[in-house]
Amino acid sequence: MVLASAALCLLPLLLQLPMRIAVLVAMTAVLMTTLSWRRPLPGLLRLLLVLSLIVAVLVMSGFSIGRDTGCALLAAMIAAKPAETHRLRDARSLLGFSLFAPFATFLLDQGPLSLAFGLLASVAVLVTLQQLADLEAGDPGTPAISWRRLAGVGRLLLVGLPLALAAFWLFPRLASPLWGVPERTVARPGLSDSMRPGEWIDLMADDTPALRVKFFGPTPPTSQMYWRGPVLWDFDGREWTQPRWLQGTPPARVESRAAGWDYEIEIEPTDRQLLVSLDLLRTAPDGSRLAVDHSLFSHRPLTSLTRWRMQSAPPAHYDADIYRTLRQRALSLPEGYNPRTQALARQWREEAGDDDAAIVQRAMDWITREFAYTLSTPLPGRHTADEFLFDHKEGFCEHFSSAFVVLMRSAGIPARVVTGYTGGYYNRLGSYWLVRRSDAHAWAEVWLPGRGWVRTDPTAAVAPERIYDTLADRAPGAGGLLAAWGNVPPGLITPVLEFTDWMRHGWNDFVLGFDAERQRHILRPFGIDRLQPAQMIGLFALAAAFALLWMAWLSRRSERERDPLLRAWHRLGRRYARLGLGREPHETAGDWVARIARIRPDLEPALSELSHRFTEWRYAGGQITGQQEQAGLQALIRTLRRHRPARSSNPARIPGERR
Amino acid sequence: MSSNAFRHLHDRMLRWARPRTPEPLPAVFDRRRIYVLPTRFGLFYSMLLAVMGLGALNYNNNPALLLALLLAGAGLASLIAAQLQLSQLEVVAIDAEPVAAGTPLRARLHVRAAPGRIRRGLRVDMRSGRHDAIILNLSGDRGEADVELATEHRGWLDIPRLRISTTRPLGLARAWAYVWPQAPLLVYPAPEPDGPPLPEGRGEAAQSRLKSSGEDVHHLRAWRAGDARRAIAWKASARRDQLLVREYEQPLGVEVVLDWRATAGLPYESRIARLAHWIDLAERERRRYRLAAPGQPGLGPDHGPRHRHACLRALALMPHG
Repeated sequence: MVLASAALCLLPLLLQLPMRIAVLVAMTAVLMTTLSWRRPLPGLLRLLLVLSLIVAVLVMSGFSIGRDTGCALLAAMIAAKPAETHRLRDARSLLGFSLFAPFATFLLDQGPLSLAFGLLASVAVLVTLQQLADLEAGDPGTPAISWRRLAGVGRLLLVGLPLALAAFWLFPRLASPLWGVPERTVARPGLSDSMRPGEWIDLMADDTPALRVKFFGPTPPTSQMYWRGPVLWDFDGREWTQPRWLQGTPPARVESRAAGWDYEIEIEPTDRQLLVSLDLLRTAPDGSRLAVDHSLFSHRPLTSLTRWRMQSAPPAHYDADIYRTLRQRALSLPEGYNPRTQALARQWREEAGDDDAAIVQRAMDWITREFAYTLSTPLPGRHTADEFLFDHKEGFCEHFSSAFVVLMRSAGIPARVVTGYTGGYYNRLGSYWLVRRSDAHAWAEVWLPGRGWVRTDPTAAVAPERIYDTLADRAPGAGGLLAAWGNVPPGLITPVLEFTDWMRHGWNDFVLGFDAERQRHILRPFGIDRLQPAQMIGLFALAAAFALLWMAWLSRRSERERDPLLRAWHRLGRRYARLGLGREPHETAGDWVARIARIRPDLEPALSELSHRFTEWRYAGGQITGQQEQAGLQALIRTLRRHRPARSSNPARIPGERR
Repeated sequence: MSSNAFRHLHDRMLRWARPRTPEPLPAVFDRRRIYVLPTRFGLFYSMLLAVMGLGALNYNNNPALLLALLLAGAGLASLIAAQLQLSQLEVVAIDAEPVAAGTPLRARLHVRAAPGRIRRGLRVDMRSGRHDAIILNLSGDRGEADVELATEHRGWLDIPRLRISTTRPLGLARAWAYVWPQAPLLVYPAPEPDGPPLPEGRGEAAQSRLKSSGEDVHHLRAWRAGDARRAIAWKASARRDQLLVREYEQPLGVEVVLDWRATAGLPYESRIARLAHWIDLAERERRRYRLAAPGQPGLGPDHGPRHRHACLRALALMPHG
C-alpha cells in the first residue's frame, strides 16, 4: 500500500521526465523493491546503488543542472527509498518525500493530466497515512482500501478546503521571487531567438495553445493579427539569430495611428523571456522591456502562465530616421553565400534606380506569381536562398521570409526577419482568441525611406489562408491530434474542443494566472480597487479564522445524535436548560416532568404530553415500519422542535385574561 | 540542551497539565484538558509543506501551492479530528481486585462516550515504566482497558496519572488527555514467604489443630497450589491418578488467634507480613481466626473471604512505622 502510493506519486513526474531517465528510475524502483522485499539490503550496497544512480541521472541529463535534473534526481531518490523502508517510520518518511513528486511535477508542467495525477496521488498518500496510523494504534480495523477510508480522507480534505482556498486567494503573494527560477533544461518547442530554414516543422505540427487573447473594445481583423515576437537580424548563411546587444537598447521612435487595440495576452509558460505583442506596442507593460526593434522581453523567464495587458496600434512611421549602425546591420550578409540571389538583386537595383518600394513590389509580385506553399521541403544545401528562389520555388514561411530578406539586403534595402504568430481562432464560448503553437509564423520587415520599417509578408502573398485562418479546417482539432481519429466529423469535434479549451482558459484564469498583482485587485468586484499589504493580511486573517471555525463546526457536527427523535428531544431539553429547568442526566422523562410541575406548573401540561409521547415512541414504539407510523413520528419530531417553554410564569400572560 | 535539562523542563510542563491533582471519577474529557501536539512525523510533514509552499510561492506556481495548501488543510483537519476522538470521552470508573504488595495490580478502566464516532485504538499509558501499549477500544458507547499497576507498598495505592492518547486519523498529531483517578485501590501487605505455621496459641487452639490434622477425614478434593504437602492423600491420589488433598472437618469452634504480640521481636513490617501470611494459612486450612492488631478492635473470630478481606484491609491500613 505504501509502495503503491509512492508509485502513484512518482508516475506523473516520470511522465514529465525525459524517456531514458524515466525508464531508469522506474526500473530502479522495481529493482529496489524486489531486492529488499524480504530483508533490507546492506548499507554499503545501498549507498553504492544510490551513488551510481545519481551519476547515471547526471550523465543522462548531460550534467546540465536545472529544474529537470533536480526533478530527475528527486525521482531517483524516491525510487531508491523503498530499499530501506521496513519500519513504520520509514514508511512515513517515504510517503512524505513522495509528496514532493507531484509538487515537482507541477514545476515542470501544469497541465490537466498532471493535476489529476497529483490529486490522485495525494489522496492515495493520505489514505495510506490513515492506514499507518490505524496500524500504530493497534487497530487494523478496516481493509486498506475501503469506502470508509476514502470517505475519511475526503472528509478531512473537505474540512480543510475552505482554509486552503482562503490561503490560496488571500495569502500574501510574492511580487518578485526570492530566488531565481531555474530554467527547464529541455526547451519546449516555441518561439526561439533563432531560426534555421527548414527546422520549424515540429512547431508547425504542435497544436497546443501558445496564447489566449482577450480584446477590450475593437478587435483587429484577422489579417492584421500579427503577434510580433523575436526579430532576427543576423544571418550566417544557415541560421538567423537575434543579437544579444538588442536587449539593452531603447525602443525606436514610432508614430502610431490614433486607433489602437486594448487587449490582454495570457501566455503559456515557455521558460524563455520572449514575449509577443500585436504590431506595434505603445509601451512595454510592467515587468517587460522593449528593444529597439520592438521585440518584447520579460524581466524573468515565463516559467508559469502569465498575463500581460497591452495597448497596440498600427504604425504610421516606424523608426523613420534609422541609426546608421542599425542600417548597416540590416544590410549585412555573409560573404560567399547565395550568388544567384545577389546577382538578381543587383540587376533589379539597376533597373529600379532609387525606388526601393518598386523593388519590394517586384519581389512580391514575382513570389505571388511563381511560388507555392508546402510543408514538405527538401533538406537545404549551402545556398538556401538560391535554392529556394530558383530551384524549388515552394516552401513555408521560413523559406519565404529568409529568402526575401536575403534578396532585399542584396538589393541594398535594409530588411530583417520577424518571427511570431499570426491569426488566431475565436472561441465563442469564452469570447477570446486562441493562438496555437502551430500558428507560428515568420515574415519580413523592410525599411523604406520616409516610412521606416514596413511589414512585408511574402508567405501571405502565396498562401493567405495559411495566415488568415479563413478556412474551417484551421479550427481546433481539424489537424494535428484529431486528424488521427479520422472519420469523426469536424462539426462535432470543434465545439467539444472549443469547450475544453474554454474550461482550460477558465482554470488558467482562476487558478494558474493568479499572482500578486491580481491578488491586490481581488476586491475589485466589490468596489475596492487596490488592497494595501496590511489590509491584505487582515483579510487573510479574517478568512482564515472563519475557515477554522468552519472546520471546527464541521468536525463537531459529526457527533450530533443520529436518531432524529432523540435529537429533537435533546434540543428540547437544551431549551429548558436555558431557563434553568434542564433535565438532569439521572432524571427520567417522568421525573423531570414531575419536577417541572412542582416549579413551573404552567409548563407542565404541554411538557407532560410531549414527554409522554416521546417515551411512548422511544420505548414502546418498537420497529417503525408502517407509513402511518412514520408520519406519526415525523409529526412528533416537528412538535418537539416547535415547542418553546415560556420564559416566565407571569399570571398576567395566561391566555384569556387580558389587562 | 542536554537531555537532562530537557527532561526537567518536560516534568515541569507536565505539572501544569490538567488535571493537576487526583480527581474523583467520573471525569469527562472536555476541550480544556485535551492536548494536541504534532507528532514527529507531523513536524516533518509540516516542514515539507512549508518548503513546498515557499517554493510554490516563489515560482508563483499555483497548482503546487494549491496542492500544498490542500494537504495542509487536511493535516489541520486531522488535528481537530484527533481531538474530537477524545472529546466527551468519560472515564467512569477504575476498579481492581486487591492484591498483595509486589504483585502487579490489574486495574480495569471503564470509559463511556456517546456513540457515533469511531473511538478505537486509543492508547492508555503511564509515565513510569515502559509497558506495552494498552489499547482501549470502544464498541458502542463503552469500553474497558486493563492497566497493570506496579505495587510496592501495602496501603492505599496512588494511581499514577494515566494518559489516554491517539494519533489517528493521519498520525500527524497526537491528542491526549490525562486522567488521574482518585479511586480507592487497596494493596494488601505481602505475606511472609515461607513463613512459620500457624501459632499454637492457647490450649484449645492446639487441641483443635491436632484434631484438624487427625484422621477425621471428611472428604477429598483436588490439589490446589499452596496446599501443604502433608495434606496430600497419597494413597487416594495413587488410586485416582490425581493429587488429592484431605479436606478436614471444620475446626470445631476453636479459633486460632493471630496476635500482634505473638510476632514480637520482628521488625514492624515483617510483623505485618507474618500476620498476612497467617491469615492466608488460616484461610487455606479453613480455620476460624481472630486478628488482634494494635489500635483496632479485634476482628473475628470468623473465616471466609469477607473476613479475610477485612483482616488484610486492617493490616494494609496499619500506620506505616
